[in-house]
Amino acid sequence: MTDLLLSQIKVNDESQFGTDDYVVNLGPQHPATHGVLRLIVKLDGETVKETIPVLGYLHRSIEKICENRTYPQCITYTDRVDYVSAMSVNLAFALATERLMGLEAPPRAQWLRMIFVELQRLASHLLWMGAFAGDIGALTPFLYGLRERERILDLFEMTCGQRLTYNYIRIGGVMIDILPEFVPKCRAFLDYFEPKIAEYEDLLTYNPIFLERTKGVGVITPEVGINAGVCGPSLRGSGVSCDVRKQQPYLFYDQVKFNECLETAGDCWSRYKVRMRELRESVSLIRQCLDRLEPGPIETKLPPVLKAPPASEIYSRIESSRGEMGIYLVGDGTVKPWKCKYRCASFNNTYVLDQLTRGWKIADIMAVLGSLDMIVPEVDR
Amino acid sequence: MLSGENIVKSVSDLLHQLYAMVGLSAFKGVLDPIVAAHVMFGFISVFVMFLVWMERKVSAHMQSRIGPNRVGIFGLLQTVADAIKLTIKEDIKPVHRDKIPYYIAPIIAFVATFAGMVVIPFDKGMVVQDLNIGLLYIIAITSFTVIAILSAGWSSNNKFALLGGFRSAAQIVSYEVPLVLSLVPVIMMTGTLRLGGIVEYQSQNHWFVLYQFIAFFIFITSATAEANRAPFDIPEAESELIGGFHTEYSGVKFAMFFLGEYIAVIVSSAVAVTVFLGGWLPPFAFLAFVPGFIWFMIKLLLVIYLVMAFRWTFPRLRVDQLMDFGWKVLIPVAILNILVTGFCVLFFGKGV
Amino acid sequence: MGAVGHYFSSIVMGFWNLVIGLSVTTKYFLRMKTNTQQYPEERLPLPERSRSMIKLIYDGEKDQFNCVACMMCAKACPNSCIKLEGVRQPDGKRRVTTFKLDFSTCIFCGYCVEACGFDALTFVSEEYENSVYQRGSLLQDEQAMKWVRPAHLTPKTEEPAKVAAPAGATAGA
Repeated sequence: MTDLLLSQIKVNDESQFGTDDYVVNLGPQHPATHGVLRLIVKLDGETVKETIPVLGYLHRSIEKICENRTYPQCITYTDRVDYVSAMSVNLAFALATERLMGLEAPPRAQWLRMIFVELQRLASHLLWMGAFAGDIGALTPFLYGLRERERILDLFEMTCGQRLTYNYIRIGGVMIDILPEFVPKCRAFLDYFEPKIAEYEDLLTYNPIFLERTKGVGVITPEVGINAGVCGPSLRGSGVSCDVRKQQPYLFYDQVKFNECLETAGDCWSRYKVRMRELRESVSLIRQCLDRLEPGPIETKLPPVLKAPPASEIYSRIESSRGEMGIYLVGDGTVKPWKCKYRCASFNNTYVLDQLTRGWKIADIMAVLGSLDMIVPEVDR
Repeated sequence: MLSGENIVKSVSDLLHQLYAMVGLSAFKGVLDPIVAAHVMFGFISVFVMFLVWMERKVSAHMQSRIGPNRVGIFGLLQTVADAIKLTIKEDIKPVHRDKIPYYIAPIIAFVATFAGMVVIPFDKGMVVQDLNIGLLYIIAITSFTVIAILSAGWSSNNKFALLGGFRSAAQIVSYEVPLVLSLVPVIMMTGTLRLGGIVEYQSQNHWFVLYQFIAFFIFITSATAEANRAPFDIPEAESELIGGFHTEYSGVKFAMFFLGEYIAVIVSSAVAVTVFLGGWLPPFAFLAFVPGFIWFMIKLLLVIYLVMAFRWTFPRLRVDQLMDFGWKVLIPVAILNILVTGFCVLFFGKGV
Repeated sequence: MGAVGHYFSSIVMGFWNLVIGLSVTTKYFLRMKTNTQQYPEERLPLPERSRSMIKLIYDGEKDQFNCVACMMCAKACPNSCIKLEGVRQPDGKRRVTTFKLDFSTCIFCGYCVEACGFDALTFVSEEYENSVYQRGSLLQDEQAMKWVRPAHLTPKTEEPAKVAAPAGATAGA
């Protein structure tokens, strides 16, 4: 595959004695690429002529594995699709399966799911903020982001016992009820966390160097974004309303008050602003969910053998931290899905990378890549 | 009284007695600078080790971490351990390197910056050689690093290193201009290029940072850029160019680049202290009982802290924005500053 | 004049925002408060629910494992990393003879512990240093996983078997 790509690069030579491109490989081993994404970059001096993303270095064929596992067992693999927001993928698969089988989780489970998915969104955005700032050259926000993320992971570990791969949101409910001390601890965290957002903004938002690096860089116009299937905060930065929580409410998102964060410019700075505003929105969402949490069962009674109806199919989508997370399932009457397809936000967001970076400088590749918030296992699956 | 001048005098007396004992008194003029340079070299090596430790501690506490705390008390010997590690490390060389520039580059990077230390007055009379063109000499000799970086980038036969080398050439040449321009008003006011003379001028008047606040910040900014420090570290921008010009260097050669970078920080901070912050002068007259070189070191560490805080707070500029900033902001402001200072000197006389 | 004014005001505003950023980092520098946990010396207790290591519960009074080799855990495991065998004892009850769990493929999802209806498998939070020098030592047998429940810990009361595996699919007591 590599040879094929490299041979394509040389096609453009007009004559035998024409100038050659300065081709550098950013990745798969490079300090700045997220995971093992490889970018073949054709340069003209510092200016980028073309960026070719090479995918597949982290391909683990999770979709195929899921076709050989029972529905509950698949949930353990969804943790690995997007390890930075594993709860969201858990939820996406659980919701898809429930819709396929006509089940519904009890209200307490739904509120709990919302709390954990929003906490996960905070954790994911914090890690993103740190990595984005690190790509641009500011190293301190990364540590600040991780510091707060650790506290969120402590809340997760307290509840379900794991810090990264939770396997918490299950078909028909959640794995286990929260401990009684969870709610006060979660509130204490939110009170601690809210002033910290202002601190990140002090460090970055109006920093002139940060503005220089992000304003007007990598503009996704609404047309380009929609045509390429860009979704989530990356598209909301262009002013396109695409929040699944608003468009097609799942769980109890229609019962809580929150704003869809939209910016208009579509550049890296807008995408940054969208995510920073989403941090605040998520905090208020979690507060509302904690207020409305009432005692009750946490899971529905499942049939002893969980079988999908024969010849059934479902496409179910949720708003993950990175954008629209869709699961397409085809059931054939057995305990295993006949076909399982993940529609991951990062894959489509990577698609526009070449268009956004062409004509910019090599440093802008890092800024754009960082602002798109891609996670390589989600791209390769 | 303990002062830099007395220390230097007693040490040189001792040395001259030593020369007399071995019968080398005739070569006094040659031997004195050699000894002084060696003393300076020892001091700088220890000070750089301290600075590396300080940078790691400062960055750690800024990021609510602990930093080195294993080797020695407060981890003070961590840098010694790192230096030992770097010296006994395998020296990995690219096969298709351009041999001569590849080997010379780290040496130039180290020597060029170290030579700048020669004219820095730590206290009244406590200086290796107080040249009468001291300021000009520092600016000239430290800009040799561009040759080192360019040849390192070229000779390591690595695309990232080459990009880093060219970036560095553009950057250092551009920032040399505001660096010099920011010093011009001071020279206009004092009428001397001798660093000791500039400090003596400040002892009769106020520190220059009060008159030349803008020039001070232009100088700090351009000096940071000259030393390839963040936020102007594009020649070695980690997230873009891996290590930039020193991607292919390891072991002792890498250590020399590393040393060179820190010495450049020391030199430029020392110039800032000498020219703008009154060198060895105490901030208030009643504090004069504290020896001058202690004041100098305190001020030096404060300026270096500022440079470190820059690095751990700000994002990195892009290469074209870096050029824009140098040519479109720093140079016009510096020229304007020269103009205003010139009028002031003209109308209010030399003493402002 | 507007352009010139904008030029200078942008410089001043940019400078001011840089100072704000510096004040944040300097605040943390002066506060000297660290969030680091120095691991080998300081060990935080993990939460009780922490999924750190799977253990096979051994009943000290009856001198036997609680496991009756009903195979529920092996069926629930997504990676088939549990292998076990059991025989019928003279008193008519099945008891486990060999129990092998390959921790090199285990992903600590917790399905086996949840599927167990006989209080035979459990997670322990105190043992979390699971690295080994040889891959082979990750394949643990019932002796390595033997764990006697301390007196202060009571058996979990919540009902198990949330996994959609056929109930009573294998021979029990």
